Amino acid sequence: MILNLLRYLRGWVRFSVRGRYPERFINIALRNRLRLWGTERRGDELTACMYMRDYRAVRRYARGSGVRLRVRERRGLPILLRRYSDRTGLIIGAAAFVITVFVMSLFIWSIDITGLDTISVSEMRALLKENGVSVGAFRPAIDDSAVSRSIMLADQRVGWMAVNITGSYVSVEIKEESPSPEVESIVDPCNVKARRDGRIIRIDAQQGRTALKAGSGVVAGQVVVSGVMDDQLGGVRLVHAKAVVLAETDYHAQFTVPKTVTTYRPTGEVKQRLSADIFGSRIPLTVGGVSTVDVLSDETAASPDPLHVALPISLITRRLYALEQQEMTLDDNSAKELLLREARLYELFTLSGCTVKKRDVHFTSSGDVYALTADYICTENIAVQEKIGTE
Amino acid sequence: MSKNNQQKRRRLYELPPVNSLPCIEFSGNREVVIEGSRGVMEYSTDCIRINTGGMVLAIGGRGLNLRCISDSALIIEGFILSVEFIV
Repeated sequence: MILNLLRYLRGWVRFSVRGRYPERFINIALRNRLRLWGTERRGDELTACMYMRDYRAVRRYARGSGVRLRVRERRGLPILLRRYSDRTGLIIGAAAFVITVFVMSLFIWSIDITGLDTISVSEMRALLKENGVSVGAFRPAIDDSAVSRSIMLADQRVGWMAVNITGSYVSVEIKEESPSPEVESIVDPCNVKARRDGRIIRIDAQQGRTALKAGSGVVAGQVVVSGVMDDQLGGVRLVHAKAVVLAETDYHAQFTVPKTVTTYRPTGEVKQRLSADIFGSRIPLTVGGVSTVDVLSDETAASPDPLHVALPISLITRRLYALEQQEMTLDDNSAKELLLREARLYELFTLSGCTVKKRDVHFTSSGDVYALTADYICTENIAVQEKIGTE
Repeated sequence: MSKNNQQKRRRLYELPPVNSLPCIEFSGNREVVIEGSRGVMEYSTDCIRINTGGMVLAIGGRGLNLRCISDSALIIEGFILSVEFIV
């Protein structure tokens, strides 16, 4: 196989030898260190193969040995190059292809990240880019072990990582650090205080001395269950007070919306901009924009992946939607609906830990604004532990 | 290197005892490699005679061919029927 390849690269000739003493010709050739192979004797004719360069020399010896040589076949790269030597475009194209493949293989084409749980892919890509690993980065300049070491030191969430470079493809494997669970201290003395003003409904004290009773009012910061307990000898002992303090709490919120609001509406004019992303750098292919100042845009990228191989080339289509400002006067019903939606969001997010027992909503219209006032009576656990002692 | 040492070394490597003699290796009766050839004296499909310096080696058979020839070695392939040493 290797021998055949070498013969192809050097170029070889199959020739026939005719004459009375072809053996003499073989001996003269061998004495001059010229190699022969594939010799065949057919009657008085002998065929053999020889390197092209050797054949040029052997013609001289053929005359001396009284034989006639005739070329039967020429093979090899030099023959091919000579045949296409006048087609310069073909040669330049082939050379350009080889150079392009060689140069392209020196850069990173795609990065695949696996094993992420809490860290986002874009965050990890940014960290990799900071350490010189990105699409279009020069591959020989990347020290994979140094990159993984540096990222592990920079981000404590990364427990272990490996950067594997296979050709132009980088695969990053990550194992995130599992956080140690918080262990609640049961020995540190503490009080249970109220987090918020309210009326106590029930106190479930697991440890500590209850300082207030159900039905009494409480202000924020007041001790509900004390961690200071009397012992049988007349002294005091400090305990880790723990309790659930269920209380009724009041919440008040106000939401407003102006009677005349400014909104953006699409005019229907859409423009498309194309750009090529090659190794992370964008080259605009088309230009143009919409006639309005206010624009909404979205972007889609299409990357070719022949045989599931990600290429560092993608076509990015950016669509621009023209927007125009419109003033809209709200009527009572639509304003109320808008404000009630805000109130629902307030309940969902701000009062997420409470059970709303009663809500009182007042819708008013005054001057240029509509207003919605909401009063809530909720039930929630207002207990909060606070250490006894000084910091 | 003295001749004695040379012979000892050849014995150690299980090589023929004398430098000038050819080294012949058969693969069944289909192929023979001859090292130490000095030239081809006769070449036909029935008989190939090789000059090895001290003697002539005549290989007889059917469809004999020289597969590869260099200045000191050659490979003969074909259906080998006889080997004759002409001293």
